[in-house]
Amino acid sequence: MYRYDSFDQQFVDERVAHFRDQTRRYLAGELSDDEFLQLRLRNGLYIQRLAPMLRVAVPYGTLSSRQLRMLAHISRHYDRGYGHLSTRQNMQFNWPELAEVPDILADLATVQMHAIQTSGNCIRNVTTDEFAGVAEDEAVDPRPYCELLRQWSTSHPEFDWLPRKFKIAVTGAAADRAAVNVHDIGVIARQQGGEVVFDILAGGGLGRTPAIGALLREGLPARHLLTYIEAIMRTYNRYGRRDNKYKARIKILVRAMTAEGFKAKVDAEWAQLKGSPSTLSEEVIGRMAAHFEPSPYPQRPGAAEALAAQRLRNPAFNRWVRHNVSPHKQDGYAIAVLSTKETGTPPGDVSDAQMEAVADWADAYGFGEVRISHQQNFVLPDVGQEQLYSLWQAAVTHRLGTANRGLATDIICCPGGDYCSLANAKSIPVAEALQRQLEDYDYLHDLGELDLNISGCMNACGHHHVGHIGILGVDKKGREYYQVSIGGHSGADASLGQIMGPSFSRAEVPNVISDILDVYLAYRIEDESFLHCFRRIGMAPFKERAYAKAA
Amino acid sequence: MPRLLRLNGELTPPPELLETGQWTLESGLGVKLAVDAEVDERWLAAPLIAIDFPAFNDGRGLSLAVLLRTRLGYAGELIAVGAVHEDLLHYMRRCGFNGYVLEKDAAPREATLHPYSDYYQASAVESRPADRRMGGQPSISSRTSPTPSS
Repeated sequence: MYRYDSFDQQFVDERVAHFRDQTRRYLAGELSDDEFLQLRLRNGLYIQRLAPMLRVAVPYGTLSSRQLRMLAHISRHYDRGYGHLSTRQNMQFNWPELAEVPDILADLATVQMHAIQTSGNCIRNVTTDEFAGVAEDEAVDPRPYCELLRQWSTSHPEFDWLPRKFKIAVTGAAADRAAVNVHDIGVIARQQGGEVVFDILAGGGLGRTPAIGALLREGLPARHLLTYIEAIMRTYNRYGRRDNKYKARIKILVRAMTAEGFKAKVDAEWAQLKGSPSTLSEEVIGRMAAHFEPSPYPQRPGAAEALAAQRLRNPAFNRWVRHNVSPHKQDGYAIAVLSTKETGTPPGDVSDAQMEAVADWADAYGFGEVRISHQQNFVLPDVGQEQLYSLWQAAVTHRLGTANRGLATDIICCPGGDYCSLANAKSIPVAEALQRQLEDYDYLHDLGELDLNISGCMNACGHHHVGHIGILGVDKKGREYYQVSIGGHSGADASLGQIMGPSFSRAEVPNVISDILDVYLAYRIEDESFLHCFRRIGMAPFKERAYAKAA
Repeated sequence: MPRLLRLNGELTPPPELLETGQWTLESGLGVKLAVDAEVDERWLAAPLIAIDFPAFNDGRGLSLAVLLRTRLGYAGELIAVGAVHEDLLHYMRRCGFNGYVLEKDAAPREATLHPYSDYYQASAVESRPADRRMGGQPSISSRTSPTPSS
């Protein structure tokens, strides 16, 4: 993984000093609330319903075991002993003291971490495939390009004061695990004639007006990545709306100009920028790629056979492997997903003890690396296949061994009305009620791959638009209601969910979801997935059933 | 009383133009541009260009300044007026501004003006390759604050 050099360390140390000074000026009354708001947001600090919330950047979801131990320490020392894995692969702390935030940042800087640009109207933490670098279906390792984007976008002189927040995702694999279609910019890296090229999408996004990104350019040579993105950013910065925050995202601009019109504007700008100083040399790309070269993988003779024998002996372990373990590009290794979605735990919440346990496993069963997925789970990328059994046993004792990755109980869920001051409704209790209802394994397994996503408001942190089933909290005359949509998907063939109809009370939601699942089970043909079934039969049967009963 | 802060730290009364409002090309004194102005070659003749920020967090003026410097090649005085916040001066400097009109009598402290000794990217005032510091190889050669090319 990437390690800071003296320049990176100096920059982050200076960022701590800078933010400490801004905090001091605010507390001394030299900066107004409004002024400090803009400044603290560029460093991940929100003032929430109950306390400040600090969002720590986990660049493209990759952590070392040492960094994760520091996050555990921070949660214990400055917070209440837990943190929250966000849907953009970051970690959030919900209870820090404002005056202590500079000290937290100083602690983070000692392990090459920060909270730079994790909120505010600027380029946010770049996200990617949580299996980057190890996935069997990967054509290009996206991480070197993510890190180049991170460095280029850090305190960019021109693009730190955009009309609205700006999210970039990069993928380099056949299966799109980074949801590139629903980001402000989506980058798809692939091989073409022995070279790395990019397809660039822009104008996707969730939130109030969900949209699938438009393809702006195909086959962009790697050296032009930054100048082309610069052209998009400049076009957006100059022409994006600033009069209404709900119409300020790039997707609104792309829609207003039409994809063709926007592309023409970007291309005209890029014609001027092509070859300018932000062009990447082969040397720098190579230098960056070297950071992500895998250490040599020791051979693991007999690993596959040992795993097969363990699976035969233990059905519960076999289930976990079936759902939570993915193929690794290296023989004898596997990628393990540690689910935070055990029933009764808020999705994505992890305790200090869990963080330390995961860090220990990363050292014992890998090369000291941990990932955070946008589904709010931990990933161990390099587990020996014969080690999976002992990892699973340890994970179960730490409530991280639930066999539900990709199943209906692996719910993506924002913090919702329990924490967030933007929320219209709570989301965590809805997730828990659904997990309780669905947790019977045979039923769950029979339902198969099913993304169930919950957001407490239109901002869509819980990605409800791209859930196969999406649930959105809405406010109806001061009461919490929930709007249900079906048919969303965030993969390569992305689609936005269709709203089923009028919203439901919280008590009704579990029954409505049951109805939807019953319709699927009744209509599906053989092994057909929920999504495929919905795309074939449409909304009508689902709607009929859900509202017949509710009426 | 507003003051003009120059890059060298000098604090002077703002140009009289601010008072008289003679912001036209014909005046030969300077032009004042809104942040959404398009770049126009006629401005090359202006000895002074002021970009008027309607709100301190409106980044359009930053892009406009970059275009004036890098696209148009404007080498004259470029100042920020309107809602200029001292905490954004370090961005503005790198976009090519060389003066700011502030509603203050005292210059901001050094910690606010120059919070960082170096940056990752190329900028309007520093056209060295952006990637010289990227990729994790320390470049010992340059650790000085960028200075304007104009």
